[in-house]
Amino acid sequence: MYCEQSKTYLRVPQSGVVLDSRSYLSVVDRVIHKYGSDRSKLINMLQEIQREFQHLPRQALEILSVKLGISLSEIINVATFYHQFRLEPVGVYIIQVCFGTTCYLKGSSEIYESMRKVLGLRERENTAREGTITVEKARCFGCCSLAPVIMVTSSDGSERYVHGRLNVSESKRVVLDYKSRALMKLKGLKNG
Amino acid sequence: MGEALDLGAGVQKISEFVVRVPLASCTLAAGADKVLESIKKALGKLGLDARVKKTGCMGLCYLDPWIELESSGLPPAIYANVKPDQVERIIRRYVEGDLSDALAVRGEANGFKGVPSLNSLPEWRLQVRYVSRNCGFIDPESIEDYLRTGGYSGLRKALKLGKEEVIKVVRKSGLRGRGGAGFPTWYKWRIAYEQRSDIKYVICNGDEGDPGAFMNRLLAESDPHRVLEGLIIAGYAIGASKGYIFVRAEKPLMADRLEVAVRQARDYGFLGEKILGTNFSFDVEVYRSAGAFVCGEETALIAAIEGRSRTRQRPPYPATSGLWGKPTVINNVETLAHVATIFQTGLEEFTKYGTERSKGTKMFCVTGSVKKTGVYEVPIGTRIRTLVYELAGGLPDGRSVKAVQVGGPSGGCIPADLLDLELDYETLQSYGAIMGSGGLVVIDDTNCMVDVAKYFITFTLAESCGKCLPCRVGVKILGDILEKVTSGTATIEDLEILRELGEGIMKSSLCALGGTAPNPVLSTLRYFKNEYEEHVVMRRCPAKVCSRLVTYEINPVRCRGCGQCAKNCPASAISGQPGKAFKIDTSRCTKCGQCLITCPFGAVVKV
Amino acid sequence: MVKVYVNNDEVEVPQEALVIDAIEKAGYEVPTLCYLKGLFNEATCRICVVKVNGKVVPSCRFPVSEGARIIVHDSELIRLRKINLELLLATHEIKCWSCVRKGMCELLSLSKRLGVEGLPVCSECPLQGRSCLVLRGFPCLGPLTVAGCDAECPRRGSPCIGCRGYITSEDVWVRALEEFYKDNVSLNELKSLISFFWSYLPQNLHRLVREVSNVEY
Repeated sequence: MYCEQSKTYLRVPQSGVVLDSRSYLSVVDRVIHKYGSDRSKLINMLQEIQREFQHLPRQALEILSVKLGISLSEIINVATFYHQFRLEPVGVYIIQVCFGTTCYLKGSSEIYESMRKVLGLRERENTAREGTITVEKARCFGCCSLAPVIMVTSSDGSERYVHGRLNVSESKRVVLDYKSRALMKLKGLKNG
Repeated sequence: MGEALDLGAGVQKISEFVVRVPLASCTLAAGADKVLESIKKALGKLGLDARVKKTGCMGLCYLDPWIELESSGLPPAIYANVKPDQVERIIRRYVEGDLSDALAVRGEANGFKGVPSLNSLPEWRLQVRYVSRNCGFIDPESIEDYLRTGGYSGLRKALKLGKEEVIKVVRKSGLRGRGGAGFPTWYKWRIAYEQRSDIKYVICNGDEGDPGAFMNRLLAESDPHRVLEGLIIAGYAIGASKGYIFVRAEKPLMADRLEVAVRQARDYGFLGEKILGTNFSFDVEVYRSAGAFVCGEETALIAAIEGRSRTRQRPPYPATSGLWGKPTVINNVETLAHVATIFQTGLEEFTKYGTERSKGTKMFCVTGSVKKTGVYEVPIGTRIRTLVYELAGGLPDGRSVKAVQVGGPSGGCIPADLLDLELDYETLQSYGAIMGSGGLVVIDDTNCMVDVAKYFITFTLAESCGKCLPCRVGVKILGDILEKVTSGTATIEDLEILRELGEGIMKSSLCALGGTAPNPVLSTLRYFKNEYEEHVVMRRCPAKVCSRLVTYEINPVRCRGCGQCAKNCPASAISGQPGKAFKIDTSRCTKCGQCLITCPFGAVVKV
Repeated sequence: MVKVYVNNDEVEVPQEALVIDAIEKAGYEVPTLCYLKGLFNEATCRICVVKVNGKVVPSCRFPVSEGARIIVHDSELIRLRKINLELLLATHEIKCWSCVRKGMCELLSLSKRLGVEGLPVCSECPLQGRSCLVLRGFPCLGPLTVAGCDAECPRRGSPCIGCRGYITSEDVWVRALEEFYKDNVSLNELKSLISFFWSYLPQNLHRLVREVSNVEY
């Protein structure tokens, strides 16, 4: 789909929902209106944009760069430096596997690998192709007594679950459970 | 408020019944919200009029989720690991005077009806709850609670003294930064105070990037006003007009509670124009950062607030030229809590603990292979052994201690035979570790020390800002060599390169991230050389962790013959008949570990 | 004005001067790489490290202070500079034969100064562009030979015969051999040249030559 405003072709996010340029533009405008054209508020602005789209769409960053008057590479510098920011769209559920020291010592690395395997994720791929689940490594949650811990959030932010004291076989069951819930949600979306 | 209700036989008359429910990130993760719901239901069902009070967490994480019941006539009782379906029974029994389900009671020196007093438990008795005194007891979102415990009396006292006098008090206390470096707090304040500038800043560093350290979060979620009070005192001392509290966006509850505290402080006149009738005007903003470990470093933290990224070579130091070029003092959450408490309760109370060179107490997070994971506040100079065995309950049955990692990714491993070392800045440094933010991770015999070093290097490499050569390239090469060691392709010379390169990186890095990154490698090399050599020379991992250096076998008893392992084996090294036990051909096995991950029955084992 | 001591020589500099200015004034020279006077001194390369009162600091950025004792060179500083240069070379794609900096390479002069081996003869060869013997298809061993002779043989139009010894870095060999192969240099001729001075090659390099030529070495 060609976007007249930003003169680019829009990439379709994996969830199958197509966004048009108007929503990127209106969100960026809203954010700039809130913070002013203050370059020092860049991180806050990116956080708001991510809250809206669950990731930082390239088109939104391009529009932001034009409106703020700073180069796109400067924005991408900041966006790739901080962990909170995602540049790729996410699935319906985001599973974050804690890679803190205690969780790692208790096997979170194996849990991470087995989840990726269950979902059939290739190297450098973090989200299942149908757009159901994203699996990420996370920094320490601070719940070390429940190690190994994973945190599952829905991409719209409405749900949050913590699963502690996991092992490999249970983690496989958990990921399949969320996958089927995600599929149901996606079906519901398609049917409107 | 509670009124006496007649519930029939055996019910005591209660004038005020309080149910304390700790709601902090750790307890919520353990299900405290569900417990809260069932408490409300149970109270309704039992017809009890009780005040349900939210509190912070007292730091004994292995008890999560816990609750506390208190009514007049009965001692406050703490119940541990509470499940929603147990709540009704617990409450009913408590009001009937039956405390048998409780873990401990507060206040009663000899316990109550067989339930021990909290003070008799070593994990409580051996602590000195100096800054954590209110944690788990007061409502973190109630400034009234804080005021009742002496809150903001420190600020009042400080405002009456001059700025110079305040700095002198901090100097006399000997308070050292609790964030890691242990820099004398008064010195930073003095330099900033002496700068001539109409605008100055103070920043509370709540980044807490060390994995396995959550004492700042716990303190800020349980007693946020204490931190705020310290920040205001710091602002007054150096002549700042604005303060920031730097929190990670990944810790939303911590940021929320601090924001509530700031709003309440404004309402009560502790922030804003002409505070408490003086000429001092000061306000605070809570800044939610987007998450980067290097933001624990002062110049990177300043860059984040300025909307940029990356560190800057010091000098100039932030105290002379920091946020937007103005004099800036950055202090850790715990340091500021100490400041507030020192002014509230006096110098003696603080200096009577600790060692000659490091006065006072410190909150230590003990995690890893221990029975009682938690945050324990003890005097500086306490032995590691005391923390691990007497407070944290020692290791689980069947495990033996191998090392204790002190100081996170910037720290080092203290081996088992050195556990009698004292936890103070200088001692730890001379043995290859650092105090850091106070995180202790207990490593047992099922972990491989080379793997631990590799884990920390992987972490530091991912967090490196990439500006200077030694960290960007050097740490990566350390990681590459460790990868070689754990996959059996390294040589003895590689171990020498590790040491030489590590020392070179430490000396020439731009900031402390690179400067301390080689610590885990150098300390494990120092104390566990033979484990490294076994990896390199014998191509064997004694802890059976490094997947390429162990032998994989299928346990015929557990194998169901499903064939999943064979299907997923990239080397086609597994064979068998459906329904019968499969077998791995070790000569073809590439030790990738896929079969172990794939097997649904846990039949693949490492030997 | 403040007084500082550079290698025990007393020198007076303005208060706001940097250590590197003091070193310059005293007549010494400290190697640098990323430093551009007046433009860039973010201290990212760590090559300009010196000791001020015993502490290792980047001279391009550290300010002077009254009575500061500055040491420009000692064994530890040289070792640190060497390590950092080696780290830089490790991430540097060495293709000196087609590099625009051939003959005027900063990395080469720094390597020579610090005694770091890693760059081939091509990095100091005066033949540039189309007159490069390798790019013209001659079996010049420049890409495989250690720099240091100021490329004497190629300077006179004669292909390098490798008398200074071979480069040890495998990835340079891979790229060089690919280059030779591309220019249809006869690999037999190449191998006979190699065996002239380097009758003993380590195993890994044996393997590489064998892989490219498919013939037993």
